[in-house]
Amino acid sequence: MTLVLSGLTKAYGGLRVVDNVSLSVPSDGLVGVIGPNGAGKSTLFSLATGFLAADSGTVSFDGRDLTAVAATGRARAGMVRTFQVPREFTHLTVRENLMAAAPGQAGEGLLAVFFRPGAIAAEERAIAARADETLAFLRLDAVAATPAGRLSGGQKKLLELGRALMTGARLILLDEPFAGVNPVLIEELSARIRDLADRGVGFLIIEHDLRALTRLVSTLHVMDRGRLIASGAPAAVLAEPAVRDAYLGGAAA
Amino acid sequence: MTDLLELAIAGLMSGLVIGLAALAVTLVFGIARFANAATGDTMTLGAYATLGGTAATGSLIAGGAIGILAGAAAGVIAYATVFRKLERRSPVAALLASIGVGFVIRAGLGLVYGHGQQVFQLPLVRPWRVWGIRIQPTDLEIAAAALATLAAVFLILHATPIGRQMRAVADDPDLARVSGIAPRRVMIALWALAGGVAAVAGCLLGIKTVVAPEMGWDMLLPAFAAAILGGIGHPVGAVVAGVLLGIAQETATPWVGFTYKIALSFAVLLLVLLVRPRGLFGRIEGVR
Repeated sequence: MTLVLSGLTKAYGGLRVVDNVSLSVPSDGLVGVIGPNGAGKSTLFSLATGFLAADSGTVSFDGRDLTAVAATGRARAGMVRTFQVPREFTHLTVRENLMAAAPGQAGEGLLAVFFRPGAIAAEERAIAARADETLAFLRLDAVAATPAGRLSGGQKKLLELGRALMTGARLILLDEPFAGVNPVLIEELSARIRDLADRGVGFLIIEHDLRALTRLVSTLHVMDRGRLIASGAPAAVLAEPAVRDAYLGGAAA
Repeated sequence: MTDLLELAIAGLMSGLVIGLAALAVTLVFGIARFANAATGDTMTLGAYATLGGTAATGSLIAGGAIGILAGAAAGVIAYATVFRKLERRSPVAALLASIGVGFVIRAGLGLVYGHGQQVFQLPLVRPWRVWGIRIQPTDLEIAAAALATLAAVFLILHATPIGRQMRAVADDPDLARVSGIAPRRVMIALWALAGGVAAVAGCLLGIKTVVAPEMGWDMLLPAFAAAILGGIGHPVGAVVAGVLLGIAQETATPWVGFTYKIALSFAVLLLVLLVRPRGLFGRIEGVR
């Protein structure tokens, strides 16, 4: 098991937005999370990645307890999230967005810039090469020099995935990767995600597009009002009456 | 006409100093998100350190390097002891604290060096005359030093990993955190850079005029005005606005008199805030 969330709880006032949620993602697993709006899915991501502090519960990754580790440390440990509304460094170019996320750079210190320029130049070349490789993989190479703020919604989703890849993440939490993305791009994005899973990257994916999601994941969790109400193989989970009730309502019957 | 041109050159010189000070202000604002009122006194510290370093080593270049190191160290120390602890508080708390930090630096310098004016002992050089306009060779050296500093800052911001990370944090600090960018290192680099830039500004101002404990504090208003005119958080804007402001101040002297030229900064500050709060290079910063 790569990521194990156990008993995560977060309350605002009296409202338990995430209520005692436990789930795990294996190292090359594709795991989905669905649920109605406001079910607490995005909050769960925030708790897992340290973006928000949980009231109780633990987060462990690769057997290491990360509960007390801040967001930067969790990202460095290899666990990175994307956002429902894509976020990017708007004034940085697409390539710079990716390069900024590369870990362990010698040139992060100001002193190194003056005293080890050679080492930094070599490292920059390596990072730039990796960024270009990632851009090609995501078919974003044509917009490499464009300020990221000018990308289309779908391109920004790809950029988020790219940034997560650049951190060297071994587990990526995708928050609605297909929302606002055209069907052709959804197919491509799914193919990319499958490729990465084959290479040992785990994914936890929140998505409302059930058709695309169920074709991708092998395990599906359903959240409703902060709680986990069902887990298992997608087809079995979707057939459960409680899930049809809570999530699909009458409309999808 | 020649008089006006000479005033414009003088304005360009003071404008470069204002621009450097505004750059230090805007760098801190873009990343730490508050107006650092200790910038002026960091300039003063840089000037005194350069003075001391020059006296000790006999070389103005070595003295300047010592001044830059002193400014950078002051920035990092102020961050470690004061501003780091106020990071999660309102920007007003940090602004007020920075006024205090500035006061401590100023009072310390006054205590050590006294309140008299000191000057850089530079050899007197005869000014050149180009088409009847007097040009001081020292001015050219000051301008060259200012431009070299600007070039270095922009190189660091745009061509180094730490600069890229600084811009990333300025753009979206939360996204930077979850992307694995260590905020601490970025902040330390920022404060060292801003302190070093302020020190260069103070050192050049000291060479051009005199070195006194109040010199930097008196530059704070023009520096803030230029940072806001240039679009707060926008490095290029700060420098351009600083130069414009310097030229405007000097060329206005025949009409408003020497004493009131500083009032121009007030006027610019008010006008920009009322009419175009985004500044010349318009992008809203620090609203997230």
